[in-house]
Amino acid sequence: MNVETVTLEKKYHDAVEHWRRHWLPDYDSLLENWEKHFPQDERFCLCAKMECGTSDTVSVGEHAGEKKRTNPSELTEEEARHLLAIIRAQASTEFGSIQQHTGTLARAQNDEDRYWVLRVMAEELRHGYQMFHLLLSQDWSKASGGVEGRQMVEEILSMGTGSHVLDAFNLEYDSFIDNICFAALIDRVGKYQLTMQKICAYRPMADSMPPMLREEAFHLAAGVIPMRRWARRAAEGDPFITMPAIQKSINKWFPRGLEMFGDERGGDKNMRFGFKDMKNREAQDLYIEEVRRMIRDINLRFLRARFPGESPEKAENRLESLERDRGRRDGVAHEDLLRLPDHRFFRRKGEPAWSMVGVDGEVFDDVDTYLRYLGTQLADGYMAARDLTLYADTLRKVVAGELTADEAVRKMPRLKRVGGNCPCSKSVRWVVEEAPASSGA
Amino acid sequence: MPDVQPQVRVRPLDELDIGRITEIDERITGIYRPEVWERRVGYYLRRDPDSSQVAEVEGRVVGFMLGDVRAGEFGIESPSGWIERFGIDPDFRGRDIGRQLFEAILRHFRGCGTGAVRTLVDDRDAAVAGFLGALGFTPSSLKALEMQIAQPPPEPR
Repeated sequence: MNVETVTLEKKYHDAVEHWRRHWLPDYDSLLENWEKHFPQDERFCLCAKMECGTSDTVSVGEHAGEKKRTNPSELTEEEARHLLAIIRAQASTEFGSIQQHTGTLARAQNDEDRYWVLRVMAEELRHGYQMFHLLLSQDWSKASGGVEGRQMVEEILSMGTGSHVLDAFNLEYDSFIDNICFAALIDRVGKYQLTMQKICAYRPMADSMPPMLREEAFHLAAGVIPMRRWARRAAEGDPFITMPAIQKSINKWFPRGLEMFGDERGGDKNMRFGFKDMKNREAQDLYIEEVRRMIRDINLRFLRARFPGESPEKAENRLESLERDRGRRDGVAHEDLLRLPDHRFFRRKGEPAWSMVGVDGEVFDDVDTYLRYLGTQLADGYMAARDLTLYADTLRKVVAGELTADEAVRKMPRLKRVGGNCPCSKSVRWVVEEAPASSGA
Repeated sequence: MPDVQPQVRVRPLDELDIGRITEIDERITGIYRPEVWERRVGYYLRRDPDSSQVAEVEGRVVGFMLGDVRAGEFGIESPSGWIERFGIDPDFRGRDIGRQLFEAILRHFRGCGTGAVRTLVDDRDAAVAGFLGALGFTPSSLKALEMQIAQPPPEPR
């Protein structure tokens, strides 16, 4: 690995540090305990990392075979605008996830889980910093309508849970289970986006991806490994963690993860411009299969712990039989295992937006019945949240024919910061923006 | 008809490989120890996922090799690639999978600027020693030494 590190101009570096003091108050504790939890690992560095020696040639799209671009001025205005939206969304997700993790971090049941998530948060901060480097190291004014890099940085740092670009980053966590499921499901979408962007025709973006991906591998482990351990504890009858509690968190995040790929019918521009190497549906399908694999892995961990003397083959047979018959065998019911939600379940964007489909693909035709059903599939804390009441209000309008599905996508209100750029400012309110439904990014 | 064997795909380790690595280890040692592999895979993923590789046949992991790049150990200041653990599903032995895993790791170690690959082997394990020898490993002047430490008897209550 040959990596060049870059530090932002002091005023921007200081702005990120200031933000960090608000949203990552345990950062100093992470650094103080780094050797204890991550012995032998390179110390954390708040800097941008650029991979050296990557390909210089565009590999997909209209410019395939040409030299990669290194300055926004070498892109067409439309390309630059599109890429800028991707960078801005990426930056927003990085800072957004830290704000979400912070809310329930202290509820981790043990120090290892807590410090793993803390490291994830610090690395997300670095990824946001990386995107700032891309915004600030070149002139994007052609694509930004005159908005300067400084203003874009201010805007992103002023976002809070509710005002981020993507919906998955606008939901509060209800418990530490969300910290873990978010890492396992939403960071997995991040892995797909970063992997697709490794070939980006804009070279600084492509060069940013490998170091971020290496860190992302641990973020996924910080989700899946605790989840495996929870499955074991649940199988052993631990009252403090259950498979249904994990399933409810999966039900919350999986639909939002699917929507992060953009509308299933989109993604052409990314390919045409050479920014990504897969369309939305293709990437989403691979993601679904990977989550299916993850759930199978967790279920096998559960069954091996529940029947400790059994061989791996017997555990696999048992799992297949429970999945096939959806019944009960030797005291384990199908409902005791994790399930991959149907891709249409609880969707509010994309092709199946506002359809009323259950976790197992069952179709509902009455709003109240569907909302009551959601109450059985989502955590109580989440059901009582503003997000669900907004979703329910909008769904009613769609079903009553007062809104089309596309209009409903646009009408979902967002929590918007309306005064001051410092996170100290709490002046936020719900607003409805007349924004395009989906960039199809 | 010639016997056409399915292709082997070698790729970097990921967190969803823990289950199969645990199974392969269980098939080799007869011991089910998922906690050990959760810890080890977690360690290697946070170090550098490309330094550890797995081999897949028809989408199923059939072998793994875990390593990383370290410097400053035992007075060796220049970065070395270290291979700590590897295993091949007994049903897939004899298909050169170990060599393919090693070559993938070696390519990555080279890219990291390492000048040597190091590992430790138990002399009594002729199969592993033979495999490493076939890959090109030779005895090092750096010798592994050990000393057993007797535990003090428990304090009388």
